[in-house]
Amino acid sequence: MGSDAVSGGRRARPVIAMLLPLLLAGCGDGGKAATGKLMLTGSSTVAPLALEIAKRYEADHPGVRIDVQTGGSSRGITDARSGVADIGMVSRALKPDESDLVAHAIAHDGIAIIVHASNPVTELSADQIRAIYRGQIATWQAVGGPKRPITVVNKAEGRSTLELFLQHFGLANTQIHASVVIGDNEQGIKTVAGNPGAIGYVSVGAAEYAATHEVAIRLLPLDGIPASTVTVKDGRFPLSRPLNLVTRGQPQGLAGDFIAYARSAAVHDRVRSLYFVPLD
Amino acid sequence: MRDRLSAVAAWGAAGMVLAAFAWLIGDVLWRGLPGLSWQFLVSAPADAGRAGGIASILLATVWILAIAIGTALPLGLATAVWLAEFGHRQPRLQGHVNHALDVLAGVPSIVFGLFGNAFFAVTLGLGFSILSGGLTLACMALPILVRVTGAGLQAVPAELRQGAAACGLTQWTTLSRLLLPAALPALLAGTLLGIGRALAETAALIFTSGYVDRYPGSVFDSARALSVHIYDLAMNVPGGERNGYASALVLVALILCINLATHALARGWQRSMS
Repeated sequence: MGSDAVSGGRRARPVIAMLLPLLLAGCGDGGKAATGKLMLTGSSTVAPLALEIAKRYEADHPGVRIDVQTGGSSRGITDARSGVADIGMVSRALKPDESDLVAHAIAHDGIAIIVHASNPVTELSADQIRAIYRGQIATWQAVGGPKRPITVVNKAEGRSTLELFLQHFGLANTQIHASVVIGDNEQGIKTVAGNPGAIGYVSVGAAEYAATHEVAIRLLPLDGIPASTVTVKDGRFPLSRPLNLVTRGQPQGLAGDFIAYARSAAVHDRVRSLYFVPLD
Repeated sequence: MRDRLSAVAAWGAAGMVLAAFAWLIGDVLWRGLPGLSWQFLVSAPADAGRAGGIASILLATVWILAIAIGTALPLGLATAVWLAEFGHRQPRLQGHVNHALDVLAGVPSIVFGLFGNAFFAVTLGLGFSILSGGLTLACMALPILVRVTGAGLQAVPAELRQGAAACGLTQWTTLSRLLLPAALPALLAGTLLGIGRALAETAALIFTSGYVDRYPGSVFDSARALSVHIYDLAMNVPGGERNGYASALVLVALILCINLATHALARGWQRSMS
C-alpha cells in the first residue's frame, strides 16, 4: 500500500512539471485578451432571449463568459440591486420605487387575451374582461357566446405578465376568481387550447405563433386593436411591455458593451425567432 | 356478487394503472421520436434549444448525478450502518435521526432548491454550479438511500449476527465481512432509486446548478440538467415542443433503464439470499 502511493507520487511529478508551463501560459494569455464574466438573472420570459444573445456575444469575444440564470422578474430586480447579478432581466417597465436601477429595453412584448378557437366570441370590452376576471360574469352566454361556464386562467403570483395585466385593467389579484393558475406562456396556451370555455392571457408573440401553428386558441383584439406583433411594434396595441435588462447605475465596461450589443440590430433575428418584437 | 364486484374493481384499477403507463410512454414516444437522432445526442443546443441537441445537457446531468451519488452514497451507507447496528445504544439520537430522515423525505423539492441556493450557492459561495446542484440532490437522495440500505441490513438474519458474536468476531469484522456484503444489493438498489429521483428533479436544480446550457468546464460552472432543459423548452420557448419531447424521451429511457437495472439487482439479491 505505502510503497504504491510513493511510486504513484513519483510518477505524477513529471506530469505536473509538464503541465505547469501550460498553466502559466494560459494565465498570460488570459491577461492580454478581452476577458470577463457577466452574470444575468431574472425573468424566465427574457432568459431564453438573453441566453441566445449572450452566446452570440461570446462567439465574437472568446475571452468573455456570460452566465444566464432564471427565476422571475422579482429575482432580477433583487439580484441587480444586491450585486449578485451584474445585470437583471425584467419583463416589465420599472416601478417608481425601483428608480435606483437603470432599465435598458432590448425588445417589446405584448399580452394577448386568448380564448379557445371554437369560441364564437370575437371581442370583449375592457369592462367585460374585468367582470369575467372578478367572477361577476361566469358564463359565455352573458357576453354573447354559448351556454358554457367561463374557465378563468390567471397567472401565478410574481409573474410580470400578471402584474402588467392587473395594472392595465386596474385589478387587484385578490379580486380575481381564477379557476386555473398557470406559470409560463406555453402552459397558459396549453390550458386554454385544452378547454373550450377558457379565457387567459399570454405573450402576444407566443400566442401568435401557437395560433398560426394549429393550436386551438384565438387572440382577441383589445380596444378594437388586433393583438399581433405588428401592432405591438408600432405602439398601437395597449397591453404591451418592454423586456428590460436592468443595472445598478449606468453599466460600465463589459456590462455596458454587452447591453449595447443586446440593443443593436445585430440581434434582431434572435428577438424575432423568440416571437418578441425588436426595438425599432 | 360482492366478491365478483370487488374482483372487477381490482382488475379495473390494475388495468387503469397499466393504461396510464402505456399512454404516457406512447405519447412521449409518438411526439419524441421525430426529434430524436444520433445527431441530437451528440450536438450542443442552439436557437434556445429548438435546434441542435442535448450533448452538453447530458454531460451536465451526468456530472451533477456523479456529485450527488458520490456524496450521498458514503453518507447514506454510514448513516444506515449506524442506525441498524449501533443506534440502539443511543435510542434518543437514533429517534432524532430517524425523524430527521422522515422529514427530509417529505420535503418538497422546491424547498430543497431554495435551501440549496441559499446554503451551497450563497453561504458556501459555490454560486450557480454543478457542485451546488449535486450537493442539493445528495440531500434529496439521502433519505431513500438510508431507508433502502437500512432495510437491507435489517434483513440479514439475526442468527448470522449471533453466530459471528459466538465466534468472537469483532463488530468491525462482522460489519465489513458479513453484514455489508449481505446488504450490498440493497445499497445498489437504493442508489439506483436515488439516481432515478435525482434525474427527474427540476425544481431543486433550477436555482442551484442553473440554466446555462454550454459544455461545463469544471464542477464550479453552472450547467443545465436534462429536466430543467425539458421544462424550459416546454414552458418558456415557443416552438420548443419537438426538442422538448425528444429530450423527455431520452429522460424516460434513462429512468426506465435504471428501473430495469434495479429490478434485475433485486432479483439477483433474492436468489443469492435463498
